Amino acid sequence: MDAFYLIKIGEILLKLGNRKEFENRLRSQLNERFSKAGITHKIEMYPGRYFVTVPEENATDAEFILSRTPGVNGYARAIKTEKTVDAVLAAAIEVARERLSRGLVRFKAESRRSDKSFPLGSFELSAKIGEVVLGAFPQAKVDLHTPEFTINAEIRERAYVFADAEPGMRGLPVGSGGKGLLLLSGGIDSPVAGYMMARRGMSLEALYFHAYPYTSQEAQDKVIRLARILSTYAGKLVLWTVPFTEAQLKIKKDARMDLTTLMMRMGMMRVAHLLVPRIGANCIITGESVGQVASQTAENLRLTESLTDYPVLRPLCGMDKEDTVNMAKKIGSFDISILPYEDCCVLFSPKHPMLKAKLERETEAYNELNLEPLLVEALDKAERLEIE
Amino acid sequence: MTYLDWAATTPPDSQILAQAAGIAVESFGNPSSNHKLGLEAKSVLELARRQLAAVLYAQTHGEKGHLIFTGGGSEADAIALLAVLRQAMNARRDGSIKRLHIVTTEIEHAAVYEEAHLLKALGLDLSFVKPESDGRVDPQKIAAAVEKDTALVAVMAVNNETGAIQRIAEIAQAITGAAAAFGRKSPRFHVDAVQALGKIAFDPQAAGVSSAAFSAHKIRGPRGVGALWVADGAPIEPLALGGGQEAGLRPGTESIQGAWAFAQAADAAAKSFDARMALARKLEARLLSGIAAIPGALALPSGRVAGDPRYSPFILSIAFPGLSGEVLVRALSDSGIAVSTGSACSSNSKRSGRRVIEAMGVAPRLALSAIRVSTGDLTTCAEIDIFLEAASDAYRRLKT
Repeated sequence: MDAFYLIKIGEILLKLGNRKEFENRLRSQLNERFSKAGITHKIEMYPGRYFVTVPEENATDAEFILSRTPGVNGYARAIKTEKTVDAVLAAAIEVARERLSRGLVRFKAESRRSDKSFPLGSFELSAKIGEVVLGAFPQAKVDLHTPEFTINAEIRERAYVFADAEPGMRGLPVGSGGKGLLLLSGGIDSPVAGYMMARRGMSLEALYFHAYPYTSQEAQDKVIRLARILSTYAGKLVLWTVPFTEAQLKIKKDARMDLTTLMMRMGMMRVAHLLVPRIGANCIITGESVGQVASQTAENLRLTESLTDYPVLRPLCGMDKEDTVNMAKKIGSFDISILPYEDCCVLFSPKHPMLKAKLERETEAYNELNLEPLLVEALDKAERLEIE
Repeated sequence: MTYLDWAATTPPDSQILAQAAGIAVESFGNPSSNHKLGLEAKSVLELARRQLAAVLYAQTHGEKGHLIFTGGGSEADAIALLAVLRQAMNARRDGSIKRLHIVTTEIEHAAVYEEAHLLKALGLDLSFVKPESDGRVDPQKIAAAVEKDTALVAVMAVNNETGAIQRIAEIAQAITGAAAAFGRKSPRFHVDAVQALGKIAFDPQAAGVSSAAFSAHKIRGPRGVGALWVADGAPIEPLALGGGQEAGLRPGTESIQGAWAFAQAADAAAKSFDARMALARKLEARLLSGIAAIPGALALPSGRVAGDPRYSPFILSIAFPGLSGEVLVRALSDSGIAVSTGSACSSNSKRSGRRVIEAMGVAPRLALSAIRVSTGDLTTCAEIDIFLEAASDAYRRLKT
């Protein structure tokens, strides 16, 4: 037997001129993800509704993919039938049986009919479904205001019957928003930032600065695990690991103590700037949030940003830490982010870092450091890892 | 690999392990079985027990107390510590004592330290005694911590990070004195002797302790086998029950080959004691003078000198101020040298900081820069030199 899913789309429907393009992106994303998972599948697209059919034994994996693909607003396991009243009612009983077996009792029925040749109107069909379900299952109860489940019947090119849809990621299909280079650390914030931009349709590549032996192999493994989680949402992604030890030592040696963190961030931004055009990206994404740590003040953001003319997207900028943590928990990155292999950068961070950088003054300090050759060298030595 | 992490574990004696494998196959009977195979296995087990006992009773030559085999040093510690819960239960039942109190130290191995925290969480009162700045616990401070209701005192024999040798016999006397002042008999005194076996002369019977824990893999024996020595007149009521093996203290079918190999390793360690000690002293002196020649680096505690009788020469803690010990360990590992930051068992834990070193009053930042170098009978002077050169290089390059 096959598992048949109805896919609801949301924001794509708001697109007018280029809707087709978004639809094709979503289709190719779904195709790619199902194929990667080794699932034979069939995707059908009708206006406003997509459908995917997979073998029953792949149902769990298919649901995992559907719940994590940007552009999918929701999905529901559905029964596809011919457009006769009897067939629709029989399907409704099957849908109700499954929900009742989970102990859900109070229900309502909702119908939509785009094919006006169907013998019953929407209201009549809903009433009829209620009637047959009540007849078949004495424990079922109709509850129009606080139902525990809803039986949906849609009469379109065919008839579909399904219960409540599971939520999807919403947003826009990956690739429709271009490509972003995500600065990925081992912390809580950056994976969430990546997730948020993937949801806006960005495909991602990620950049991690590895300061071995100051940061451990475990810290790098942790970042790879985070990238893997991210890729379940964002699709295929590339992780760049840039060796940053030499640059960091140079900063430590030659920069003024209170500027070390700033100089390090400027150097990182510069490496990102150099990498962006090479990978065909068009922006930089960071997990920065105003005021979170001393280095993240508006003055300091201006300074780090001055090293690139690509837009620096900071989706967490206005978010409260607790919101970010909750989101990290939801997407499954939190438990990995809090593993204790932090960057040992504590030895590098000054006790009293510069809070309000002055653009000209600090730019001069940065230029005097002459980091650029080290950064270029570091980028040349970067490791490229494809994560799927 | 230049292996200088002998306090974490030792390269097993391949001959002993090979013979042990043969014994595992030949004497496979269950020692609790009454048939010939079982009796055979039992005789191997008992022979191993007598052999190990002979090593432990080097000073007393007695046959007092009894020795049971366990699954390792940590398990031996756990049996002794958790038995206090049975004591607490009995005391509550007969209403004799309202509270139970335990005295231990801030420098114990996690096997005792974490177990003590568990007992605290379960409602027992705990006192943690700090060491002096030389890493040794003052016996009088242990005595001062003993209260009327103290049921157990636990102090390790040799610290696994600093090599500091604790004055176990003096502590035993001090405890007895303190208890007598309350008109009580001496509380149980458990000693984690895992780093003492084969490294100092330690006879639990002569030291006057109630129980002591040992481990085979620290003296080139196999993993997964340890021992708990229990004095006569200080019975332990274990928490884990089962088939009554090992005098009821450690249920589970015995590892014949493990016990046998442990006894052989202990015997070999005892026979080579003087030679190993002489080598360790030589290596210690070379290490200490080499460290003194690296600008900034220092041995911890800072007063330690070569041949210092307060420390086991096999273990040395060295601080490299301005460079995290963890970072140096990684850098040395890349140069083919194995050392550690401290107890391998606590370097995995989430508890941050360096408890043992900090307890001696060393500032946290300095403590964080410490590594542990530990040697053994296969260590050579050339290896010490390799280490000194690599550490000196890495320190110069990575110091921040």
